[in-house]
Order: sequence, then C-alpha cells, then structure tokens
Amino acid sequence: MAVISVKDLYRVYKLGKVDVHALNGVTLDITEGEFVGIMGPSGSGKSTLLYQMSLLDRPTSGLVTIQGKNVGGLTDHQRTRFRLNHCGYVFQDYALVPELTTEENVYLLPMAQGKPDTESIDTAREILGKVGLSNRLSHLPRELSGGEQQRVAIARAMVNKPDIIFADEPCANLDSVNSKRILELFKELNQENGQTIVMISHEDEDIEYFDRVIRIFDGKNRER
Amino acid sequence: MLTDFKISFFLAVRMLRRSSKTGTLLTIFIIAMVFTNMIFLSSVIGGSIELMNEQTVDFYISNIIIKPKEDIRFIDNTSSLVSKVNRIPGVSHASARYELGASLNHKSNEIALPVIAFNPDDEKLVTKIHEMMKEGQFLTREDRGQVIIGNYVAGNVDESKDFFESLGGVKTGDSITVSFVNGVSKDYRIKGIFQTKSYQTDYKVFISWNEMEEVLGYPLDQSNELLVKTEAGTTEKEVKRTMLSYGIQEQVKTWKEQAGGLFDESIESFQIINNITLIVSLIIAIIVLFIIIMIKTLHNKREIGVLKAIGIDEDIIIQSYVIQTLIIGILGITIGFCIIQTLIAYFLAYPIEFPDGNVSLYVETGIMIESAVLLIIASIIAGYLPASRIAKEEILTAMRG
Repeated sequence: MAVISVKDLYRVYKLGKVDVHALNGVTLDITEGEFVGIMGPSGSGKSTLLYQMSLLDRPTSGLVTIQGKNVGGLTDHQRTRFRLNHCGYVFQDYALVPELTTEENVYLLPMAQGKPDTESIDTAREILGKVGLSNRLSHLPRELSGGEQQRVAIARAMVNKPDIIFADEPCANLDSVNSKRILELFKELNQENGQTIVMISHEDEDIEYFDRVIRIFDGKNRER
Repeated sequence: MLTDFKISFFLAVRMLRRSSKTGTLLTIFIIAMVFTNMIFLSSVIGGSIELMNEQTVDFYISNIIIKPKEDIRFIDNTSSLVSKVNRIPGVSHASARYELGASLNHKSNEIALPVIAFNPDDEKLVTKIHEMMKEGQFLTREDRGQVIIGNYVAGNVDESKDFFESLGGVKTGDSITVSFVNGVSKDYRIKGIFQTKSYQTDYKVFISWNEMEEVLGYPLDQSNELLVKTEAGTTEKEVKRTMLSYGIQEQVKTWKEQAGGLFDESIESFQIINNITLIVSLIIAIIVLFIIIMIKTLHNKREIGVLKAIGIDEDIIIQSYVIQTLIIGILGITIGFCIIQTLIAYFLAYPIEFPDGNVSLYVETGIMIESAVLLIIASIIAGYLPASRIAKEEILTAMRG
C-alpha cells in the first residue's frame, strides 16, 4: 500500500523575472515500510521533491497524498500538526535548536504532542540510549561532534514514532565512519519499526542500504 | 492551549538562559532605565506638587480656613469663634488673622502691603512660619513696635535680585515706617525675617494682635480669616463636616478647596509635561525592544524555521518570544523599581534645591503601577511584532536563515 503518492507534481520558483522549473511532473508511489533513496545530480530537484512530500513546501501544481489523504488542502496549522504527528525530519546540517540540550531537543516533540513530561523525557532518553548518546543528555549542540548532532537529529525524528522519516542528505557533512554509522542506524530503525524512510543521497555507496532508489533528472523521476 | 503555553514557556526560558547573556542583561538594563526615566520626572513633578501642598498647609492656609460669610468683610466675635472652633473634635487649634492696608517705607523704598495681625501663641500652633526664621526672632504676644517680614519684603540691596518690589535689603534691627490706611503712621523695628520659600507667605508682614489693637485704638474682636490646624489622623473633609454640624455659619474651606484655583493651572501644566515624557519614554521602550527582539529573531530565523519544520506551531513560537520580552520587561521593571527606591532615599537625604523649596521625589503608587503596566504592554507589542513577522515566513525561507 502506498504511504506516499505523488502525481504530476510541478514546482516553479520565481527568480526575479525568470521561472525556474524545479519539478516537471513527478509521479511516484512510496510503499509503507520502504527505505527509499532519492538520488540525482545537484540541482536536479531531489530536495524540492522531498520538501513537497514532507509538507515543508507547497507544489505549484499536482497532488501529494499521504496515507490516502490529500495534504494539499490542509491549512498551515493542519500541516504543522500533521508534520508533528506523522513525520520525522533529519536535515543535512542537523538543524537542532542551539539553546536546547540533547535531551530537550528530543523531548520537545512529545511534549508538544501533549504527552506528560516524565513520559516525554523517558522516551527521549530511551531513544538517545539507542543512538548511543546516553552520556550526552545535558550537552548543548555546540558541545557535540557532527556525528553526535546528527544522531540527536535522528533521535528527534524517531521520538514521536512517525509513519515517515524524511532525511535530506543526512551524511553530507559527516566523515565516512560516521556516515556509515548513521546509515546503519536508519536501516536498523527501518527494519525494527517498519517505518517508511525517504532519504536524499548523492553517494552511490549508500544505495546498498536502500530498498529502492528514485533518480531525479531535470525535475523528473526515473526509478531503478 | 495549556500545552502550547507550556511549550512556549519552555522555549522562552531556555532561549533566555542560554542565548547571549550580555544581550539579555543589556536589554533588561535598558528597560530598567526607561522605567526609571518614566517614573523619575513624574516623581520630581510629584515632589514639586507635594512641596506646594506642604507649603500651603504649613505656611499659607493650614488645613482649614474660615472666611467671613458671603458679602461680609469681617468675622465678628472672633474670640468666641476661636474658642468654639478649638472645642470641635478633630481641631487641633485655630488662629485668627486681621489685615489692615498699609505702606512700608525704608529710606527711598516704599511698598504697599497689608499688615497682618495674629496672636503669635496661636499662630505657632497653626502654621510653621516660626520655624522658618532666616534671621532674628518670631513675634511674642507682648511685642509692641516690632514687626516680622518675609524674605521677599526685606529684598536685596541689589534690586535686580528681587522678584517683587522690596524694602531694598533691610536687616533685623532696622527701622521701617508703616503708614496704615486708618491714618496711623508708626516706626517699627524689624524683629525677624522669615523665609519659607513660598512666595505667597514670604511677601507678607506680621505684627502682634496687641500691636494692631494699639494701631486701631480699640480692642479688636474682628478678623478676616481663621486658620485651623486639624489633628493628626483626621481628614480636612471630615473636620469641615464636623465644623458645619457644630453650627459654624462662616465659609469653611479645606486648604485644597481654597488653594485649588491657585495651583490647578500649575498642576495641569505639570501633568501635560509628565504625560508627554511618559509617551516619549514608552515609544523609546517599544522601539528599543522592537529593535532588540527584531535582531534576536533575525538571528534565530533559521531556528524558527526548524521549529516550524519539526511541527511546532507558529503561534507557540511567537508566544515564546512574547514570553521572553515579558520576562525581560518584568525584570527590567523590577530593577527600575529598585533604582527608583534608591533615588527616593537619596533625594530624601539630599533634596533638589529649587527657588520655591527643597524637592524630594514623590512617587504615587498609581503612577508606578500604570507605568509598569504600560511598559509590560510595550514589551508584549515589541516581542509580538518581529516574532510574528519571522514566524509567518515560509519554512524553507526561514531555514535558509
């Protein structure tokens, strides 16, 4: 069953008087529990596609359906709520809140869902333990290495047990050892929890971790 | 709703605690200064008004004044009225005054002024003029041929230093000639010069009641006014009501009623100045806070984008910035309050010297609360506007910083 369905998706940006066609009619389905890689050269539209699917941006035209629901019709508040309850995000530059400690960055989300503080903290600590950061709970992001920060971001993406995790080149700023560790972590979480993971990558060696690769060229998709 | 507030508060406290301490402390300091500025001028004005009120009660009118009935020049049977008033509950003491027009001469200087007679023993219990002798001594009941004059009446040898026409710098012990309107002309020795710094009082001339009887040539049982000192712990309005209930037929006015017209315009002008200062201070506070929060939110633009991306509602984010400015505002106001209290203590010990008297700071609780509330509202506005502007941006635009 398709957890994400994209049909005739177009995204046109205005750059001054010039229209930039970032997506030119992408159509694809992602099945529940899949670990999908989106690959393609720089400027091909990978990130734009991910942003449309993950409700971080609105397409110029086309349809995005998540779990059978047309998310195009949602208001900004509904989209925010949807992201909180159904999606997890991992960004290339970690995107942690600098004033929050490791555990605060993670338990912020269950707290925002209205879960009790103790439950939120316990869940955050449990997940941070899984990603090997039990000894870094009260550290601020600036006190962590790049690899550690990315693991905090993964823990944050996992903490609400989202249906889908969107990862935008999560290993781009990491060395090969940390990249491998992060990819193994994603694979492990995908296999253990059956969560759908959509990840952008431009490294061919990452392909072995993906169930399927969607290649994007000039704003159009080509699957392998 | 409660969860939203909890998250906003959680974010606000952590952002305040862990963001630039210098910036936060500087902002708190600015708010403290703005609050001090808002209160300081109004408290100086309040102090001036308070001084005017004190001078009016202590040197000019006392607490209550009794005047002759409408269209009648004198209060007759003054001695019995004084005795009657002295027996009224709430009255500490009454003193009668009688005025007679005169011209005063010293060498080539001549000024026209009414000479006022009182019983010095009564007067001492009603006003504090006797405590303000610049030189010489206050009158006694037995004094004959002696006069006490105000500082402005005595004047200066250098006329350019005088506010009013004067006797050209007379001193205690000098002799002046007083020509009364009843034709009597007499030389008087200046027994003392008083300086209350209230111009209404310092341009007066007093002699004893016995001396006035000698000038008039008959026992005097008339007066132009009775000054009444009320007992501590009573209000003038209460005592006035009691006096009326005791059958006082003359006009009875509290000092506020009597002096109202005298000070209303000054107070109104002071209030206009005060309101302008208050508005300017508030505008400064809003602009300063707005700039600081704008810089802070622009600096945190990416973070705001991230929070929105991971599912934190923009209202929660805006609320967290408003809470931050609210906390900054409250801390600033608290520090400003401490500064004001220190200034009050300082100026109580070392009052500001004005020509009309020494002014201490006088802060009305109402003005303090009003200023604090206005500043808190300003903080909320200054926090809300920039935060909402950034928080309403597209997620990806905000995340790009």
